[in-house]
Amino acid sequence: MKIKLTSVTVTHQEKALKFYTEILGFVKKTEIPLGEHKWLTVVSKEEQDGVELVLEPLGFAPAKVYQQELFNAGIPATAFNVDDINKEYERLTSLGVIFSMKPTQMGPVMLAVFDDTCGNNLQIYQL
Amino acid sequence: MYPEYLKMTLYRSQVQYLQKNLFPKDYLLIQIIRSKKFIDNNYANNINLGDIAGEAFFSKFHFIRLFKKYYGVTPYQYLIRVRVAGAKKLLQSGMSISDACYGVGFESVPSFTKLFKAITGTTPLACQLKAVRKSNFE
Repeated sequence: MKIKLTSVTVTHQEKALKFYTEILGFVKKTEIPLGEHKWLTVVSKEEQDGVELVLEPLGFAPAKVYQQELFNAGIPATAFNVDDINKEYERLTSLGVIFSMKPTQMGPVMLAVFDDTCGNNLQIYQL
Repeated sequence: MYPEYLKMTLYRSQVQYLQKNLFPKDYLLIQIIRSKKFIDNNYANNINLGDIAGEAFFSKFHFIRLFKKYYGVTPYQYLIRVRVAGAKKLLQSGMSISDACYGVGFESVPSFTKLFKAITGTTPLACQLKAVRKSNFE
């Protein structure tokens, strides 16, 4: 058994693809139409054979409530590792990304949280 | 400062709470992070626990306890993980197993092989062959 996929639930797949590729810098890996929605994954530019992130459509009503409450509490849906969090914070801010938590030290880790514009908070962290 | 429309979130308040209550001593945090960076930058050299603890200005015993509290592993376990990660990159670039082993600071191929398997779940040879197959395919 291998971990090859992880996922975030997004309100709009097309909008999410644009944000995750053009703003975050990921690369589209797979796009397969499946009726109303599609199987859509992105990967890290530096690890294109690594774990794929599925941009999963929000098609289940109770999930909308769950996602909204997580968002309101500022809790990240997932987290991405970066080498230099301050540099990444400056880069994303300059692209208009809104942070609910600026780079903040918590023990040996620096964390920051921002809005993915598709219903989620995302966290970046530097070890 | 945060714009007014960005209220303090539950998550941010929890992060601040944990930082204040679990990691109250900034100077300890700075020293431990410094020792971790020392490992990151010097893992390929012949460094030992004394060197790492010395970098953080702690006694060995105190240092091991603090490092484990902050990172969840002992400094030695962390050093091994960093060395294995470095060796994996060298193997994937086509380097021989013995050159990768000594290149990241291990002193014997058998112990390197054993640690590599324990940490990555695969042997150095299998890792190298996988990289070769991939490059041939590309």
